[in-house]
Amino acid sequence: MKSYIELKNVKKTYEIGNQKYNALDGIDLEINQGEFVVILGPSGAGKSTLLNLLGGLDKATSGSIKIGENDIAKYNDKELTRYRAHEVGFIFQFYNIMPTLTVEENINLIKDVTNTCKDSKEVLKSVGLLKHANKFPSELSGGEQQRVSIARAIMKNPKVLLCDEPTGALDSETGVEVLKLLREQSDEDTTVIIVTHNTMISEIADRIIKIKNGKVESNEINKHPKKIEEVKW
Amino acid sequence: MLYRKMWRDIKNNLSQFITIFLMIMIGIMAYSGIESYMDGMTNTAKKFYKENNLQDVNVLGLMTKDDLNQIKEMNHVKDAELKLSLTATTNKNKTLLLNVIETNNISKFYIMDGEEFQKNSSGVWLDNFYAEENNIKVGDTILVKYESMKLQEEVKGLINVPDHLYDVRDSSELYPDRKEFGFAYISSSEIPESYIKNMISKEKNIEEELIDQIIPNFNYKDYIPWNSIMVDIDQKKNRDGVKNKIEDEIKNAKAIINIEDTSSYVTYQGEIDEGKTYVGVFSGIFLFIAMLSVITTMSRLIRKERVQIGTLKALGFTNRRILFHYIGYGLWISLLATIIGLILGYFVIGKIFINLEMSFFEIPNGKPSMNNTSYFVSLIAILMVCFITYKTGKSILKENPAETLRTKIPKVNGKTLNITKKKIFKKLHFESIWNIRDILRNKMRTFMGVAGVVGCCMLIVCALGMLDSMNFFVKLQFETLYHFDYKLNLKENLNTEELKELYDKYGKNTSKSLGIEIKNKKGIRESNNIFVTDASNYVRFVNRKNEIIPKPKDNGVYITYKLAEKEGYKIGDKITWHIYGEDKYYESKIIGFNKDPQNQNITMTRNYLESLKIDYIPDSLYTNKNLENKKEIKNVETIQNIDNLKEGMEEMLSMMKTMLVLIIGIAILLGTIIIYNLGVLSYAEKEYQFATLKVLGFEDKQIKNIFTKQNNWIAIISIIIGLPLGYYLTDWLFKTAIEEHYDFGASITVRTYIIAAIGTFIVSYIVSKVLSRKIKNIDMVTSLKGNE
Repeated sequence: MKSYIELKNVKKTYEIGNQKYNALDGIDLEINQGEFVVILGPSGAGKSTLLNLLGGLDKATSGSIKIGENDIAKYNDKELTRYRAHEVGFIFQFYNIMPTLTVEENINLIKDVTNTCKDSKEVLKSVGLLKHANKFPSELSGGEQQRVSIARAIMKNPKVLLCDEPTGALDSETGVEVLKLLREQSDEDTTVIIVTHNTMISEIADRIIKIKNGKVESNEINKHPKKIEEVKW
Repeated sequence: MLYRKMWRDIKNNLSQFITIFLMIMIGIMAYSGIESYMDGMTNTAKKFYKENNLQDVNVLGLMTKDDLNQIKEMNHVKDAELKLSLTATTNKNKTLLLNVIETNNISKFYIMDGEEFQKNSSGVWLDNFYAEENNIKVGDTILVKYESMKLQEEVKGLINVPDHLYDVRDSSELYPDRKEFGFAYISSSEIPESYIKNMISKEKNIEEELIDQIIPNFNYKDYIPWNSIMVDIDQKKNRDGVKNKIEDEIKNAKAIINIEDTSSYVTYQGEIDEGKTYVGVFSGIFLFIAMLSVITTMSRLIRKERVQIGTLKALGFTNRRILFHYIGYGLWISLLATIIGLILGYFVIGKIFINLEMSFFEIPNGKPSMNNTSYFVSLIAILMVCFITYKTGKSILKENPAETLRTKIPKVNGKTLNITKKKIFKKLHFESIWNIRDILRNKMRTFMGVAGVVGCCMLIVCALGMLDSMNFFVKLQFETLYHFDYKLNLKENLNTEELKELYDKYGKNTSKSLGIEIKNKKGIRESNNIFVTDASNYVRFVNRKNEIIPKPKDNGVYITYKLAEKEGYKIGDKITWHIYGEDKYYESKIIGFNKDPQNQNITMTRNYLESLKIDYIPDSLYTNKNLENKKEIKNVETIQNIDNLKEGMEEMLSMMKTMLVLIIGIAILLGTIIIYNLGVLSYAEKEYQFATLKVLGFEDKQIKNIFTKQNNWIAIISIIIGLPLGYYLTDWLFKTAIEEHYDFGASITVRTYIIAAIGTFIVSYIVSKVLSRKIKNIDMVTSLKGNE
């Protein structure tokens, strides 16, 4: 099976004063299409940096990042914008939804950047927010807000869904619901990559990648991913 | 250590602190500058009047030495001096108001160059401005002519005199033409005996040679026809008493005029009074909008420090210490800004404005003067900034440290935004709805932005509108009301033959001015004048709508609207008046109102005057004949070309223009800083949302449009509010600030509104564009992390 995401010797170096700091120090990894991937690692290991590079939020210092046939490490700003608009969806720990737009408006926002959108009502239904469509984010609970964030991310029908601690700000029950939704996306052939501290999530993953000191410590296929209901949170 | 933290924080937020600094500085600079200029005008004149002993009253009439001595003897009279004022000409056909004096202890000369005036000294002391304009220096000789008298005089001194700060040849001139008209003083000993004898011979119809024989002990100096006595009174409160005594005892006194009613004093004082309103309005608006913006910014800056306040609290710092630390942010910046504002206000605005005034008024040592109000206003500005930092800090400190340590997520009040869920809004594009809600969420910031732009737009309309209105006035005065090419100021008391000769050559369109006193409804007497017209098509009248009043009627008098409003006269009322120097009072029916931009007086026709059995001897003749090459006309004192009158007025406007350009400049500068500052605030508060949009794949151009859209809306709304407010401000200024004898209203051209609207919009648009360039450099990762 040909991998969908392929990183080769990816480095990301920050310069702080005269000091150089390698957030990523030669990452090599491959991820297949439709996989549910969990990236684990301690704070400062480079997980979020990796996610940012995959999402086109940041540029690698060196190396190649192939998404499908394209090396996004070579993209200029315009190409990266187009990539973010059409191919990738983001889910953040603190949701980052527009506070002054209603739930439905937040989702429809995506129509401004891509033509390949799903039907917003369908999306809202799939995340269980149809009845809240006309509410402002401040009128929703944390879990509901994260579902808005997921709805917005899947609205564009992305090939890759990148999630940075998506359950970090939620209680376990709400977290489970969010993970269920993400798993469903993966089941529909969207590659879902989750960066987290929470090792429990790795039990439901197809692939578990551990990062340490900017390097891949391990990259394992979970041959027997558990169902979400089977995991003790 | 906290002190060091403060300076580093200021350094880290430098652009915001610089804008705060600039706004306070410009606000204070404008306020204290205009204030110091107005106070400078007042103090310069006060000093000049006091040091050079300006008279308290002028007694007009054919005065004698006996009258002088009698007045000097009166209680409370400190001193009195005789004066003969003549409208003379020079060999170059310039007009000189030639003053003949014996001594110079009242209205003393301020010598700019040359020597002091001595009793019986020869030579002439000349108006310094006139001398400068005509390149006349001390030691030069000038020829002065008056009737048969020709004086060849050496210039002994160039002077300023306290009752000649502003001199015009004629009331129809508004701007002094220093090249063509000036004043001069000579000692009475310079009056030739031959002139006096010639005068007596004409008056008494006796041969000049026989005068010595007919009049025993004839001394020609006793026959100098003095036409005024300047009186210096010990205290203001005694003035009315002295005036009544003169009126009762001095038969020759035809009119006793307070110095405050003379044109030089009135015009100068009027300039100060007008200016004082501008101080309150222009500089007040400047300061107000600057402070609004400063308060918003300062409060937001302190709110940004929330986590640090929590940290300090958690570390054990007392609330008081933390508060003092944050008050310091506002204190040092505002203190520095007010000090520099005060200095620049005095040395830049104050000096520029006062120098402009000093080119108009002939007064020495004009300099700005800083008074306590400016210091007080500066102190208030500092206290306001400190108070807002204190209040903001205090509100954060009220929370417990654990709460404070967490970044406060901006609240979105669903209720406020619910209105935008209505159907009409559903059709709007996301950009528009997002901006509408952002405005609703940040009402205060938006209000400050609107207030700032409205203020600036209003000031631009007002400044340009004042020029428009003045231009309109020039057009009204010199094209509608004055409908002639030349005005001939006739010599006094011409006989029928002399007049006929003039009528034959130049037509019969004449007028006469009568100095009168009106006894108003309360019985108070006030100086005024009557314009008697026999030139209805040459000097015309308009109503309030500036429509020409057809031929005035002969059965009563017309009074100006402003005079009617002041005294409460209605059409059909009777107005009581008497001619100066005559005791008989007349009661005239008011048959109409007219608008006169320059004089608030009474107008009547020649026929009406004659129906009151008063002789009509014209003092002015109007003609459209070409007199371009005429330098002198027999029995005509001066020839005034309407174009010259107009030019004089336009020159005055050019002075006003300089001041207004400066005001517009400050308005634009302040407006730019306010718009920029609020733009920065607005940008900072939206940055994380823009970062999210960027993550979602929005192009920079799309995000920039979202950002500039809101600023454009604010600019458009502010312009819509600012334009009419600008009109009302101008109209109000003209109606209340302008001297009593003027009657202007705002008359603003469409061009001004367009310039103000486009100018304001362009400034706002450019600032938004500059700020929106930041969007390109948003670091998505940092911005989103920052929000977490």
